[in-house]
Amino acid sequence: MMVQLESRPDPEDQAQTGYRIQVKEVKFSYPGGVQALAGVSLEIQPGELVAVVGQNGAGKTTLARVLNGLLRPEQGEVWIGDWDTRQYDVSRLARRVGYVFQNPDDQLFCRTVGEEVGFGPRNLKFSPQRSAELTRRAIELTELQGKELLNPYDLSPTWRKMVAMASILAMDTPVLIFDEPTTGQDAGSVRRIGGIIASLHQSGKTVIAITHDIDFCAENFERMIVMGAGKILLDGPVSQTLAEKEILSSTYVEQPQLTRLGQRLGFEQVILNSAEFMRAIRKSQPPSSPE
Amino acid sequence: MAIIEMRNLTYHYPLAETPALHGIDLEVQQGEFLAVVGANGSGKSSLCYALSGFVPHFFKGKLEGQLNIAGIDTHQSGLMDFVRRVGLVFQNPFNQISGSKFSVYEEIAFGLENLAVPPTEMRARIDAMLDLTGIRDLADRSPYALSGGQQQRLALASILVMQPQVLILDEPTSQLDPIGSREVFQVIKDLSRQGMTIVMAEHKIEWVAEFADRMLVLSQGEIIGNGKPSEILSLPQLPEHGVGISRYTTVARLAQKEGLWPSDQALPVTLTEAVAGFQEALG
Amino acid sequence: MSDRLSFYVERSSLLHRLNPLTKLTLAFTLIFLAFFGPGYWLPAGLYLFVLIPLSFLGGVGKDFVRTSLRLLLPLFLFLFVMQSLFYPGGKTVIFSLWIFSVKSEGMAFAFLTASRILVMVSSFLLLFLCTHPSALMNDLARRGAPAALSYIITSTLQILPQMQAKASAIQDAQSSRGLNTGGNLIQRTRSLLPLVGPLVFGSLVDIEERAIAIEARGFMLPEKKTSLIDIPDTRPEAIFRWGMLLLILLTTGYRLWPS
Repeated sequence: MMVQLESRPDPEDQAQTGYRIQVKEVKFSYPGGVQALAGVSLEIQPGELVAVVGQNGAGKTTLARVLNGLLRPEQGEVWIGDWDTRQYDVSRLARRVGYVFQNPDDQLFCRTVGEEVGFGPRNLKFSPQRSAELTRRAIELTELQGKELLNPYDLSPTWRKMVAMASILAMDTPVLIFDEPTTGQDAGSVRRIGGIIASLHQSGKTVIAITHDIDFCAENFERMIVMGAGKILLDGPVSQTLAEKEILSSTYVEQPQLTRLGQRLGFEQVILNSAEFMRAIRKSQPPSSPE
Repeated sequence: MAIIEMRNLTYHYPLAETPALHGIDLEVQQGEFLAVVGANGSGKSSLCYALSGFVPHFFKGKLEGQLNIAGIDTHQSGLMDFVRRVGLVFQNPFNQISGSKFSVYEEIAFGLENLAVPPTEMRARIDAMLDLTGIRDLADRSPYALSGGQQQRLALASILVMQPQVLILDEPTSQLDPIGSREVFQVIKDLSRQGMTIVMAEHKIEWVAEFADRMLVLSQGEIIGNGKPSEILSLPQLPEHGVGISRYTTVARLAQKEGLWPSDQALPVTLTEAVAGFQEALG
Repeated sequence: MSDRLSFYVERSSLLHRLNPLTKLTLAFTLIFLAFFGPGYWLPAGLYLFVLIPLSFLGGVGKDFVRTSLRLLLPLFLFLFVMQSLFYPGGKTVIFSLWIFSVKSEGMAFAFLTASRILVMVSSFLLLFLCTHPSALMNDLARRGAPAALSYIITSTLQILPQMQAKASAIQDAQSSRGLNTGGNLIQRTRSLLPLVGPLVFGSLVDIEERAIAIEARGFMLPEKKTSLIDIPDTRPEAIFRWGMLLLILLTTGYRLWPS
């Protein structure tokens, strides 16, 4: 189910298309001395679909928070387009980078779903017409139609997550960061979230997700960054990074189910989803089968 | 003699019009491992609460039908009778920390203190639980200074130390990362091997399929499947009820349609089964 | 996650080895004496000549003095200003500034009140520096205090850092939605609901789950609870406690006796 969201530029911003994200030699330590980022550099072009994986403590969440300005780099720089994150408040950077947190209950406070989703656009001072339109589209994308007048706390945790997601989508930010979007979700919800991410990508948004779910990563993302001990260990197209079995297992990242199956069956290609598996299996048929 | 017997159980939360559980029939033998799967909202948690007595004794509401578990009848017994016989561990590891103890060791003792176990007996039991759940080296730490997986193993230790006859687990790894999940699954697997009766609600199908003796599928409060995991997971209607099946099953079914899966083989749930089947198909 | 859930500092002093009830009785006695005992200089004397030496005996002298002064200095300042300037019935003016005049009766009252509060706060501070909350709660529970009471006290101690962490997470989430949490008074008031709302609702969800967790661990079982940790009590201590009680009674008598 695809819904188009336009990346209409805010009159305030100069950029017409999305923003290039640049992370330059960023180091960050938490008070107490734990070094979470030990010199990270990367570049994300507008419209990319990136997953960041790695075990807890590898620095994934810290990296995400450095991208939306919640954390300032100790050393190094982070640029969202022409904005240096050190010069901008989080609430200002929210215009360019939307962050969907893992726990929806950390955000929900309005009496109705509609009000909650409209909170972000209101903060960004969009016109009432634009806010209403963005709210409507976000609700449609997250399949919350019909629930606009319900109290978010009357919904199940699964739907509360959708409300929190919609409230960020309604801000129409060119860059979106998802923190563990599929944790605790059932299969139907995971499918819905995959669809949302695909829609966002189709509209030209830059989508970055931190995730443990390696199968979800393989099936929905184009580029995968693997982090370990505060550094980037691997960064490249998903099929390429998934082939690096040793590095992955050194940081306790398992390969996706179908990738493992493909390898055990001796396929050369790195399998990312069912369609690729079927193609590979058909090709491997002994010549006697009709084609 | 079944340790759990549920007949036509129907439950309405207070003021609810639709029942959370409807006409549930269920039998579990001692030592069995029953997995419960279903979409969010299908009634998995309500079933867990019913088996541990919180439905209806904590949540109130209307409970109809029969439940006999570990020798007690839910209509004749109170929550305290359940607490002595049935253990419950649920999703959020953090909210299971009692809040009244300052170290992992004392946290496990909490249940024993409530059961009025003599102090001389406590240490041996706590030490055994620390070893079973692999958290012995965390004994002096604050419960809040643990990872999610460690906290969930602490929750398990704290309930198991009370020696329940049945263990109910409501999606214990939902909020954990892969490492934490693996740690918790290991403990559960060991418990099952030692003969504990376990009922576990879970989304990670591949894992439960390997270790469960039987599987129950819930949808909108009703049972739509009850049998061996391999039988259940090949039911074609699972996806439309929101139940995720393993990707191995999915591709095997697609392959089956094109005659690329051996006709005499059941659909695979685990990697090993999938490899075996496809290797045969490829000749 | 905060590891430091209490003031407790681990030492092996005499004070640490005392039974928690003894220390609690001592704290209450000192407070009672400070508020109802005879003499203008008694509260100050109790602080300087009883509490401070005791704290050094307990090996926590430095922590004690540092913390008690840090807690009390702002309070002192406030009281001095208020009482010195506004004490009713003051006659002896020390000096004047514009329309405000500082009276010596006011200053005297301020000093007495401040020293009484100092004894109260620092008595409990010393208690908590030398007594692990677990030990205190266990001892009270063993002596018959309702389990719910000790649970409420210990869980509140633990909840505070968690609430702080939650509030911080909420602030992060809401500022990431464009909420400006700084600014002038009007802006800050408007951002109160988005910050407090999730804290309250989220806490309600957590509270229900925790209630289920402790019920499942038998918290509401009717049996009298046993205790993992055995806290020793000695006869001399019991005599000492009765002695403290006697002191309280004598002081009450002194207060009530028409003089």
